[in-house]
Amino acid sequence: MNIQGISPVAGVLGRRGLQALLVAALVGTLSFFLMRMLPGDAAYRIAAGRYGYDLVSAAAAEAVRVELGLDQPWYLALVGWWAQLAEFDLGTSLVTGHAIADDIAHQLGHTLLLAFCAMALSLLIGPALGILAGLRPGGAIDRITLLGATVLRAFPPFVLGILLILGLSVHLGYLPAAGHGEATSVVLPALTLALGLAAGSCRIARDAFSQVVNSPYYAFGRTKGLSDRQVLLRHGLRNAAVPIVAYLGMQMVFIIEGVVILETLFAWPGIGHALIHAIFWRDVPMIQGCVLVFALLFVTLNTLVDLACLALDPRRRH
Amino acid sequence: MRGRHNPSRRRFTTQLALGGLAAGLGLPRPVIAHPNGDHAHDPLPATNQIPGVLSIVGPWELTGLDPSRAGFMFSRMEIAETLFDAADDGSPLPGLAARWTQSADGREWLLQLRPQARFHDGSPVSAADVVHALNLARTKPGILGLVPIERIDAHQDQVRIRLKHAFTALPAALAHSSTQILAPASYDPDGVVRGVIGSGPFRLTHLQPPQRFEVERFAGWDGPPPAIERATYLAVGRGETRALMAESGQADLVFGLDPASLQRLQGHPTLQVESVVIPRTIYLKLNAGHRWLTDPRARQAISLALQRSGIAHAVLRERSLAASQLFPPTLDDWHVPALPPLHHDLAQARQLLRELGWHTDAQGMLFRSDGAQTEVFSLNLRTFPDRPELPIVATAVQEQLRQLGIRVTVSLGNSSDIPAGHRDGSLELALGARNFAVAPDPLLTLMQDFGPSGGDWGAMGWHDPALDATLDALQRTRDASARQHLRTQAAQILHQALPVIPVAWYRHSAALHPRVNSAGLDPLERSYRLSRMQWSR
Amino acid sequence: MNPASESSLPAALSIQPKPVRAYFGSRSVGAALLVLVAAFALFGPTLSGSDPVAQDLENFLAAPDAANPLGTDHLGRSMLARLAHAAQLSLWLALLSVASALIPGAALGILAAWRGGWVERVSVVIADSVLALPGLLLVLLLATFAPGAFWPLYLGLSLSFWVEYFRVVRARSHILLASPQIESARLLGFGPLYIVRRHLWPELAPMLGTLMSFSAATAVLAMAALGFVGVGIRPPTPELGVMMIELLPYYQEAPWLIAAPIGLLTLTVLGLALVGRDRSSMQ
Repeated sequence: MNIQGISPVAGVLGRRGLQALLVAALVGTLSFFLMRMLPGDAAYRIAAGRYGYDLVSAAAAEAVRVELGLDQPWYLALVGWWAQLAEFDLGTSLVTGHAIADDIAHQLGHTLLLAFCAMALSLLIGPALGILAGLRPGGAIDRITLLGATVLRAFPPFVLGILLILGLSVHLGYLPAAGHGEATSVVLPALTLALGLAAGSCRIARDAFSQVVNSPYYAFGRTKGLSDRQVLLRHGLRNAAVPIVAYLGMQMVFIIEGVVILETLFAWPGIGHALIHAIFWRDVPMIQGCVLVFALLFVTLNTLVDLACLALDPRRRH
Repeated sequence: MRGRHNPSRRRFTTQLALGGLAAGLGLPRPVIAHPNGDHAHDPLPATNQIPGVLSIVGPWELTGLDPSRAGFMFSRMEIAETLFDAADDGSPLPGLAARWTQSADGREWLLQLRPQARFHDGSPVSAADVVHALNLARTKPGILGLVPIERIDAHQDQVRIRLKHAFTALPAALAHSSTQILAPASYDPDGVVRGVIGSGPFRLTHLQPPQRFEVERFAGWDGPPPAIERATYLAVGRGETRALMAESGQADLVFGLDPASLQRLQGHPTLQVESVVIPRTIYLKLNAGHRWLTDPRARQAISLALQRSGIAHAVLRERSLAASQLFPPTLDDWHVPALPPLHHDLAQARQLLRELGWHTDAQGMLFRSDGAQTEVFSLNLRTFPDRPELPIVATAVQEQLRQLGIRVTVSLGNSSDIPAGHRDGSLELALGARNFAVAPDPLLTLMQDFGPSGGDWGAMGWHDPALDATLDALQRTRDASARQHLRTQAAQILHQALPVIPVAWYRHSAALHPRVNSAGLDPLERSYRLSRMQWSR
Repeated sequence: MNPASESSLPAALSIQPKPVRAYFGSRSVGAALLVLVAAFALFGPTLSGSDPVAQDLENFLAAPDAANPLGTDHLGRSMLARLAHAAQLSLWLALLSVASALIPGAALGILAAWRGGWVERVSVVIADSVLALPGLLLVLLLATFAPGAFWPLYLGLSLSFWVEYFRVVRARSHILLASPQIESARLLGFGPLYIVRRHLWPELAPMLGTLMSFSAATAVLAMAALGFVGVGIRPPTPELGVMMIELLPYYQEAPWLIAAPIGLLTLTVLGLALVGRDRSSMQ
């Protein structure tokens, strides 16, 4: 559906760029109204966050109100809000008083680490099993993986996480249950996420591969005298890779949503954890920052997937 | 990640790949040699720990560095000290101040600092430093606002505090974590805390707010060197996750466990569970200015509808925690055994409400007709989940008041909703857990909560001059028997008028890994007692 | 939040080369599961005969018996009654959010394909911007406005679902509108309503059925996930995610309690996914 004369790469970048801009506007506006419509007294919330609820008093809240300018009229605030966002200024947390950009930069590292480990693990598990299943459609491996994938996908990620903690950490003691700061802390949340991802990519790989195996060029490759292994590597993998990579784009939703829930469960100090925490404290600038970074991350990753598909599949370039 | 590597951990990593498979097949856990070598049958895996580093897990996050924000965390980890410390019963002990004297009229206090005390940057703790820290603390919200301070200055090598009138609770106020003494280098020129340079036995080495910080034994500490060399604190928001971290042996000391998890951990073969009843009470704060709740009989009726024993039994898992009066028995100066215990009597509760003109409809709910208008007895109850038992207790209270005929909606929000509702007058009911020993003397808490204009966490729309007079006399009186009389009087007033309705007392618990020997839990929640802990052999 | 939602996107459907063989007769298994869950949700509250909020603090964590076939929870409430009410709530939310996403989504999709021009361009841009925000994030943002209320969940889910319907319907309608039958119907002067009813709808309906079952599963899981992280429906209203988090601490004392909501949620999602899977493979 490319407009004539625009290169496919530029088309992808343009469309995704516009998407990023729009989502930023959407999140910014929602956050502004969120800020204005906060039920109760924001100054009190913030003061409790700072001083602990045993120490919160009206005086402390009043100090916060003046300090943060929560008493200014809404139209001034709206203008300020937009101007800040346009300058990529995410503001400061209402609770800690830190610059949100700094906090998020720190948390982003953790989130990316978790997402990357999950993705890598899922690619180790999913497509490998899928290819095995696709080589003999209807065989034992195919049936077992279908059953496994179906059940896994019906399992909410947080329940899977709890079961993995109970099994691998509490009863077997292989891994730390939660937290961070140890090299192995990332394994449990990543594994939880990866299993859900693999359940999907396994079936996609299986379907793609069984299609390739039954294709004329694959059969031709064999009559040409190539060994099973050569045929698999030369014709099978590359052709099966396109749908798997395209499917990664769709898995981004699962990753981002999974990160939000699982970081909370595993006390993993990423953006998802920060987001739930900020919602709890109604720390609107922090909520805005987290959602914005997630949305932009999502668009960026999808752009990469689009570009990877273009690179893998020459047909899409025309 | 932090470069401490040891053979058992590396071996562990190689087992990782097999781990998942083994788990799936239900294979037994691999036996990995414990660093101490004597835990062959230890059901807690040694793999999840870093040898020589004590790991503490709790629900509290580090939201800042200022003593008024997060001072309690630095006190608990023994990084920063206050001038006074407190014994388990709340009586004053020397802290950074080794000795003190007060003038005959009780208006001037002279505090002599520990001569060898040093800040973690190596500088000695001087009287001027203390004055600097205290004067900054006075400008911030905190307990010092309750103290009638006239002037704080350095008098030779002593700290001199001038009061407007005698104030017996001064040592308690100066034991509160918001009055921590930090080195002058901790503050920037505007008085904002930029680093935590305290004078305690442990030194802050790594800070990763809001979740994590690390400490190390301070070589310049003037007391006996602690056995624990290094420790980490990790804030974990979810109670379930904390319990699982204790159960998996990952954390050495876990605080903030919900009663159900505690019950489970108590049955654990090797974990130790320690607990102590602390001077904290779960109570219903109610708006006595609300037209339905102004009459003491209405508050009485709500109190009679509560099945405290059931709540203590089912939610807190310990029947004896049912509150028979506001102050728990641990506060033996304030607990008055002679008071008639609060009890459950639905019939009497209904009778009291009938006297106030309430009738029951077909569904058993209460209504009242004022001429043409009919109003239904419905109230909103605010609470918050920071303490895992509060939402469950709120659900129980909601149901018990429904039995009486009062419709209660529960708003589960943020802890700050309660002070906010107090101030804007919108609060009807709230469930909170108040620590009477925030500063070791409950008098300070009572002054905050039941003063002439009520308190964010105390009375609302209720005021009794007799109580004011009693609390005021307590501030000035030094005679022990007179003080005891005054305290009993205060407890009696609160018991009869019910400006807040006590529900249950509180037990503070922690799960402890067998590799450490505990020093006992602090009933005042002031310290983790790291410096007194030992590695078990 | 939902593994199934990924494959609800049209591209995933088109990847599937040919019908996946129904090894387990999965469609009928799925339908049977759904019927069971729906019957439980519909009749359970009446049959259990207990009030889901009535407590018996002296009889908490009771093992299943004749009076309480699923035992009692940590406040002595009937688990059967609570579970049935929770199922009802989840299914209601799923139905409601799917229905209110389907109607505007499909209508706008057809309109965009039919009219083309700026109508199409504007709606595609709006859809793209919503698409850049994973559904759960939108729900979380809205949930902050009114924590514990039902409407942010409903609104957020509907807002994120409509885009899928819009995209699928628009893409498919483009192809269908160019087909000879519709071309000729238009030339013959049949009105738009007639064409939509007679030609477009029968082609779109099966595909939408698949999407609906996937978004229903997403809705059920999202609600539970939010309950789990403490942003969802408030106690004492029985809700599956909230029940899980409330009952988790008792996993050793009374394992059947935590198993009940997990089992019910899994069966519901499984049923929806199985029904959707087979339909999709018939395309």
